[in-house]
Amino acid sequence: MSESISQSLFLLGCSHQVADLSAREKISLPSGSIDEFYNGLGKIKGIEEYLLLNTCNRTEIYAASKSNLSRNLIIQYLSKFRNLDPEFLNRYSYQRSNHEVVSHLFEVASGIDSQMVGETEILGQVKKAYSDACKRNISGKMLNRLFQKGFQAAKWARTHTGISRGQVNLGNVLCELARRIFGKVANCRLLVLGTGEVAENTMEAFKSRASQAITVTGRTFDWCPLSRNKPSELAEKFGGFALSFNQYKDSLHLFDVILTSTTSGQSMINVEDIKRAMKKRPAKPLFLIDASVPRNIVEDVANIDNVFLYNMDDISEIANENLKSRMSEVEKCRGALAQKAQKLWDQMTQQREIS
Amino acid sequence: MNVNDTRELLWLAGGLYGLAFAIGFLKTFKINWTPFRETPLAVISLGFILHTRALYIRGLDVHGCPLGNTLERIQFILWSLILAFLILRLLWRLDLLGSFCAGLSFCAGWLSLLFPQLDSNYWLSENYEKLFSSPWIELHASIAIFSYGLFSLLTIVCSMYLVQRKALLARKFNKLSSFLPPIQELEVAAMRLLTVGVLFLTISIIVGGMHWTRHPELVSHAKLSVTLVLWIGYFMVFVLHKTGKLYGSKFSKTSITLYFVTIGSLALVNTRTKETNTTPQSVITNPENSSNE
Repeated sequence: MSESISQSLFLLGCSHQVADLSAREKISLPSGSIDEFYNGLGKIKGIEEYLLLNTCNRTEIYAASKSNLSRNLIIQYLSKFRNLDPEFLNRYSYQRSNHEVVSHLFEVASGIDSQMVGETEILGQVKKAYSDACKRNISGKMLNRLFQKGFQAAKWARTHTGISRGQVNLGNVLCELARRIFGKVANCRLLVLGTGEVAENTMEAFKSRASQAITVTGRTFDWCPLSRNKPSELAEKFGGFALSFNQYKDSLHLFDVILTSTTSGQSMINVEDIKRAMKKRPAKPLFLIDASVPRNIVEDVANIDNVFLYNMDDISEIANENLKSRMSEVEKCRGALAQKAQKLWDQMTQQREIS
Repeated sequence: MNVNDTRELLWLAGGLYGLAFAIGFLKTFKINWTPFRETPLAVISLGFILHTRALYIRGLDVHGCPLGNTLERIQFILWSLILAFLILRLLWRLDLLGSFCAGLSFCAGWLSLLFPQLDSNYWLSENYEKLFSSPWIELHASIAIFSYGLFSLLTIVCSMYLVQRKALLARKFNKLSSFLPPIQELEVAAMRLLTVGVLFLTISIIVGGMHWTRHPELVSHAKLSVTLVLWIGYFMVFVLHKTGKLYGSKFSKTSITLYFVTIGSLALVNTRTKETNTTPQSVITNPENSSNE
């Protein structure tokens, strides 16, 4: 590592782009040590403004200075704070300076640098980190401008490019399909057969869209009173209802969306069940998702009018298509953001020269 | 540009609908330009004002509701279609429906204008006095044509339903289907349009029936049969949907098929009229002229 020269903006970071999970775990800061970290960071010679972005996938330190700022001091401080070999940190981190920092922040905030391209959670995390820095009074003129412009750039990227187009998370894909069929997901009545990860993921997605009628059933519901009653637990967790496994076939017509996610290996819903249910709700569509392997819903139910049956392959294909669509927009978005970053950097340097 | 010339106004109104369709199309495919946001609705509204003026001027010429030739009937249906959309737009924000309506009005409107033979100047004939012998027949004709406008809108909504359904079944979502409303909402909207359309058609038939009982000789059998078949058809679709026997894609396909029969029936009645009468349409024949014949 060579000693650096005078710089205005500096970034030291670690993310999924350069480090695997175990390396990220070592570099990431525990939430309880943030105050201590900030206190020590502020004592580094030459540092005037600084900000820490610490998420599950990235740890980044943004620093600004009008005078000489040694980047080595920041690297040494972080390696000492986390008890890491400086060489290790050097291998699993990246450093950016000046206009590169601006470009990087724009890419991070817009989600094109995220593991799940186009995800929106990162913008909230960047905003939170900035708000935290403002409260601590450690973000000044340069970082304020940088981050506020970063939020604008992120908004622009999401509005004017396709980086956030379509859903890529399984639960969100199902919600998007339910929206295409029924309109508001909040009004959809969901029945989940099974209590696996897919079931939980789907319930979480529906719950986050204010769905008030989530019902869970599973084979463990009735047969063993001493075992963990997973359906009831899940129902409680998501504010839904638990249904006896013996009753679900008679209640199919009451639901708009039915997800099966069990390992029973048997057919749980057949053509006759759906025909009977549709007779009781003829003009209302029914959305079936078979997330089980082997399948739980007989494929022929898809031939019934107003019934839409999707299996895991269909859902994965949609998610992959959406992801491909997002990826195809990344380069376009990156180019536009680079231009915006350069423009901002020019303005910042001009102002600095005038002042 | 002569603002008192019906045809010029109709060309302009059609052009504005075409413009609204083009802008709506660009909007759908994410070509963002801030003024585009409300432009299609504004352009459709302006087109509708010109369309109304054109029909008003023609109405003054013919001394009644302008339904005397094919062009007038097509234009009146399109006017009803846009009116129904604008009323619906107050209740629901259905911009893509507006684009579909504008597209249909542009295509059908300009096509009808491209063939001058569809716009005979029947009101310039020597014996011409008034298009309708009685205000009740005028009311019957205008309500019937208005219900056809509603059925046009129903057809557009059903087409949107089928496009969305196809995308859901094929698991392929293009940009067009992304902007379409959910299929359940489309089916509800279609049913409401069918209800209102059937209601207007029923009123029209009751009003027309009152005239027919007094002057049965003035209404051709073809016209009577076609009208009744259409009414029975739409009423059956309404009843079958209400009783849960016809829904989803079959409901949409039946509604679209019936609409094409409706449009076809207009030509049928018109042909029959030409064969039998010098005046534009048997149903609107002046009783005095008829008795002279």
